[in-house]
Amino acid sequence: MSQTAMSETYDFLFKFLVIGNAGTGKSCLLHQFIEKKFKDDSNHTIGVEFGSKIINVGGKYVKLQIWDTAGQERFRSVTRSYYRGAAGALLVYDITSRETYNALTNWLTDARMLASQNIVIILCGNKKDLDADREVTFLEASRFAQENELMFLETSALTGENVEEAFVQCARKILNKIESGELDPERMGSGIQYGDAALRQLRSPRRAQAPNAQECGC
Amino acid sequence: MGSAEDAVKEKLLWNVKKEVKQIMEEAVTRKFVHEDSSHIIALCGAVEACLLHQLRRRAAGFLRSDKMAALFTKVGKTCPVAGEICHKVQELQQQAEGRKPSGVSQEALRRQGSASGKAPALSPQALKHVWVRTALIEKVLDKVVQYLAENCSKYYEKEALLADPVFGPILASLLVGPCALEYTKLKTADHYWTDPSADELVQRHRIRGPPTRQDSPAKRPALGIRKRHSSGSASEDRLAACARECVESLHQNSRTRLLYGKNHVLVQPKEDMEAVPGYLSLHQSAESLTLKWTPNQLMNGTLGDSELEKSVYWDYALVVPFSQVVCIHCHQQKSGGTLVLVSQDGIQRPPLHFPQGGHLLSFLSCLENGLLPRGQLEPPLWTQQGKGKVFPKLRKRSSIRSVDMEEMGTGRATDYVFRIIYPGHRHEHNAGDMIEMQGFGPSLPAWHLEPLCSQGSSCLSCSSSSSPHATPSHCSCIPDRLPLRLLCESMKRQIVSRAFYGWLAHCRHLSTVRTHLSALVHHSVIPPDRPPGASAGLTKDVWSKYQKDKKNYKELELLRQVYYGGIEHEIRKDVWPFLLGHYKFGMSKKEMEQVDAVVAARYQQVLAEWKACEVVVRQREREAHPATRTKFSSGSSIDSHVQRLIHRDSTISNDVFISVDDLEPPEPQDPEDSRPKPEQEAGPGTPGTAVVEQQHSVEFDSPDSGLPSSRNYSVASGIQSSLDEGQSVGFEEEDGGGEEGSSGPGPAAHTLREPQDPSQEKPQAGELEAGEELAAVCAAAYTIELLDTVALNLHRIDKDVQRCDRNYWYFTPPNLERLRDVMCSYVWEHLDVGYVQGMCDLLAPLLVTLDNDQLAYSCFSHLMKRMSQNFPNGGAMDTHFANMRSLIQILDSELFELMHQNGDYTHFYFCYRWFLLDFKRELLYEDVFAVWEVIWAARHISSEHFVLFIALALVEAYREIIRDNNMDFTDIIKFFNERAEHHDAQEILRIARDLVHKVQMLIENK
Repeated sequence: MSQTAMSETYDFLFKFLVIGNAGTGKSCLLHQFIEKKFKDDSNHTIGVEFGSKIINVGGKYVKLQIWDTAGQERFRSVTRSYYRGAAGALLVYDITSRETYNALTNWLTDARMLASQNIVIILCGNKKDLDADREVTFLEASRFAQENELMFLETSALTGENVEEAFVQCARKILNKIESGELDPERMGSGIQYGDAALRQLRSPRRAQAPNAQECGC
Repeated sequence: MGSAEDAVKEKLLWNVKKEVKQIMEEAVTRKFVHEDSSHIIALCGAVEACLLHQLRRRAAGFLRSDKMAALFTKVGKTCPVAGEICHKVQELQQQAEGRKPSGVSQEALRRQGSASGKAPALSPQALKHVWVRTALIEKVLDKVVQYLAENCSKYYEKEALLADPVFGPILASLLVGPCALEYTKLKTADHYWTDPSADELVQRHRIRGPPTRQDSPAKRPALGIRKRHSSGSASEDRLAACARECVESLHQNSRTRLLYGKNHVLVQPKEDMEAVPGYLSLHQSAESLTLKWTPNQLMNGTLGDSELEKSVYWDYALVVPFSQVVCIHCHQQKSGGTLVLVSQDGIQRPPLHFPQGGHLLSFLSCLENGLLPRGQLEPPLWTQQGKGKVFPKLRKRSSIRSVDMEEMGTGRATDYVFRIIYPGHRHEHNAGDMIEMQGFGPSLPAWHLEPLCSQGSSCLSCSSSSSPHATPSHCSCIPDRLPLRLLCESMKRQIVSRAFYGWLAHCRHLSTVRTHLSALVHHSVIPPDRPPGASAGLTKDVWSKYQKDKKNYKELELLRQVYYGGIEHEIRKDVWPFLLGHYKFGMSKKEMEQVDAVVAARYQQVLAEWKACEVVVRQREREAHPATRTKFSSGSSIDSHVQRLIHRDSTISNDVFISVDDLEPPEPQDPEDSRPKPEQEAGPGTPGTAVVEQQHSVEFDSPDSGLPSSRNYSVASGIQSSLDEGQSVGFEEEDGGGEEGSSGPGPAAHTLREPQDPSQEKPQAGELEAGEELAAVCAAAYTIELLDTVALNLHRIDKDVQRCDRNYWYFTPPNLERLRDVMCSYVWEHLDVGYVQGMCDLLAPLLVTLDNDQLAYSCFSHLMKRMSQNFPNGGAMDTHFANMRSLIQILDSELFELMHQNGDYTHFYFCYRWFLLDFKRELLYEDVFAVWEVIWAARHISSEHFVLFIALALVEAYREIIRDNNMDFTDIIKFFNERAEHHDAQEILRIARDLVHKVQMLIENK
């Protein structure tokens, strides 16, 4: 019974996006993160797909609601409607395809413009396992990430390497921003909601340790 | 000694009994029993203890350490049910051992049998009692135990519990209940951290009971469109529905709370019958308190589903809302207590006999609690320290508050009459019963009222109350009538005006229906049964008859059969080209051959055209290779060929990307840009030109400026391609002029730039014919834009073809190659639109069914005439959403309101994929075939927008789940994504056809 209750109990809900060119492995990353398995029969995404998972970040339970979008630019008019109010994003390219890397700027502009201003983005160079076919070096991409204030990881949806880390790091950064007051969960379109647990903490007088953001969120 | 043995057995059995009770209670109070529930583990443990009791040691194999395994294996040899369990357990154990390595293949297996759900993972607890547990969850444990009891001599010592003629069968029958329960799928700990999957939601829903559609009467009337069930006129249906409702209501659910439950409460349903034991329960919902009594015969799962629903015992079941109950008579006897409910009309309900042991009192105490805060028992129960609630002690027999009944006379009161009163709520609630109580005052013995009630109420209510509710128009007993008449008149006015506004709203509603929906369906109804047999579908026989006698067959009749019953799979190949418009009904064989010949020629020509172009594209990639290589900032190992291709594409796609949405239109600098063009054509991809172009690209690609490495890299021909997206008209003209000499590529380039002009396209494409060889020979025959566009599209097609339905048996590499050929041919003819993701999905089922490239090409072209409208910029999608909105609003206002209130997902994006691909991703292949042909036939039979009704049917099929889980926009997208390929296509089609019919009736019914 406590388990059922637990699944409803989280401190925050973050809305995440997974964006990037077609065929970079967005859906596989999401599937690996949620199911811990590689989806080897993945078909291209039409419209938008979904996943959600609760993770523990530094003692806080964060529910990630992850929106996996179609990659082909033609669908952008559709997918962009999902951008609104995203707190975090995985910006995915394929290390074996320069094309997907070159498109990053556009995705980035898009995300910053259409999602919230403070969206926290982590750059993911996916298909790390295909090092032999690499077309984008780690150095190059990390420089790009630095210049654009992105976090950066190279991931493999096949082996699972760095997949969880990508999501967790992104969530951690958002939490840090909340705690430092840089992000205000109460603001419209922040992509952040309080979960039941957080609310319960707020209401309960015994637990005065409400999230810091509460204090400075005025 | 014998008694000690018995005590052990009794103890063992008692343990099982206790666990069974626990688990049954869990099943009732929660909506389901979770496979991880500790009750299951406890029950399995208790049962295992019984099964192991006095197991014969000397029986072969029983010396093994795992006795349960030995027992089950042995029993499995003679008892098929147990044999199956052996099989299952072995599988589970294998999985548990080799989970890691076999992960991938398991995944593949799972996909194949996608309907069968997930393979369970095993937790350590599950492994502990894996044999008993598996048997329980497979719902056969009772049968296995019964088998053991019947064949006990083979497996057990004489003193064994199972060998006992009494205990053995008891154990088996105890397990009947738990074996009838549903257990939800085992989940790994991980799953607790995600939302429930769609499968789980559907399962939960199923456990909670089949759909009871409760359109709340307060809502706007659904204009005669009633729930599916109510239309069934057979009383059997109603009985079944009522039975289901009753069973469902016994479970605690979100709307009602179980306050009290007791089995073995006896009721004598009829005079001439013996008292029947049953389950008495008290349910509280927001508005009411209800007593239910269900005969045991209906509760224990010995009856089959259909028997259960038809059982006469349903007639005996009691459902009494306490709002109707005025007083309760209690009699205490040695054998327990009897309780009689008396309703406001004076009718006494059959007496409920409680077993001994304070059950009557605890029922009353629960009832008293349940009545709060509005109502209470009169007199109230007394609270005694240490004992809790007790019957009130009454000093006199005929006390003011309560009255003893009948023969019981002396000593302490054993009989009571409790009245149910609602102080302070006289006029708001239950005005009827309160009036009675008030009227007769507390001094009259309550049971005397019974015959008087019905006549008494009206007069007394007039005198005592000014409430409009209580004012009967025919009242004649009160002398002062004036205020009353005023009251009556004002009421009359109110009623009339209310009726008027209701009617007005209804009319407005209807006009909405007519304006919005009348275009969605054909107005004339073509029924399935006139002439009969349409629901059998278009069979091979009918089709061969048609082929022999084409002139006498009506197209519409064939289509009607397809619409109501689909097409037999064997002849799909032959019929589909007709449905899609490749052939026309009534064509002679010769005519058909002609059509085929034309299409074949055309296909071959198109194929040759783009293949020739592809050669040039590839060659160009190779030639340009050195130029790019030098520019790589990363010197790591690169497949140069792929690199080259992707390299060019990247810039193109980026530019397309921007131009589509006009986010940052590039600065107009066309004249300069256009100049290098001829140079490049002379020698595409030479290092020199690339450098020139690169300079341009730096200026041009301003959005990329933040990305130094990619700026270095930004390339070549991308500039031109960006221009051809419409930013430079001047350039195009120049370009055309420059190329006048070659007739071949000229028109092709035009095609590219003037997507809006299909009329020009055809003849020009015809001209290309001559240029076929030319094209193959000379790279310069194609414009750079064309080559770039083709390269980009080929690249995209390749990407998607590779991953198109790769698990479906048909798509072997050679067939994927065919899919690519057809796809490329289509795209070659529509380069203005280009390849868009999803086209592969639409082509794949056609190719699978027709298994003929030319035919698939032709049919796909026909199909795309409708479908291309759904793709981005086609405009049809928004229309679909708007129509969906209107339809749901009209047909299911409750759901509409829910959708509205939950973050307004009335924009219906969750249907996006449905409409884009005609449900191809939602259904299994065989179902896609069935649904598609109905969509095509529906055009002529019922609606050109049949997809809307399928979408609506999908929503309706899960409406209870959507409603009960209060799904918001994200939930619903997630739900339907997960539910893909799990739908019952035939049921969905049936609902969809019904919905069309309903809308037709609605429009008809002016």
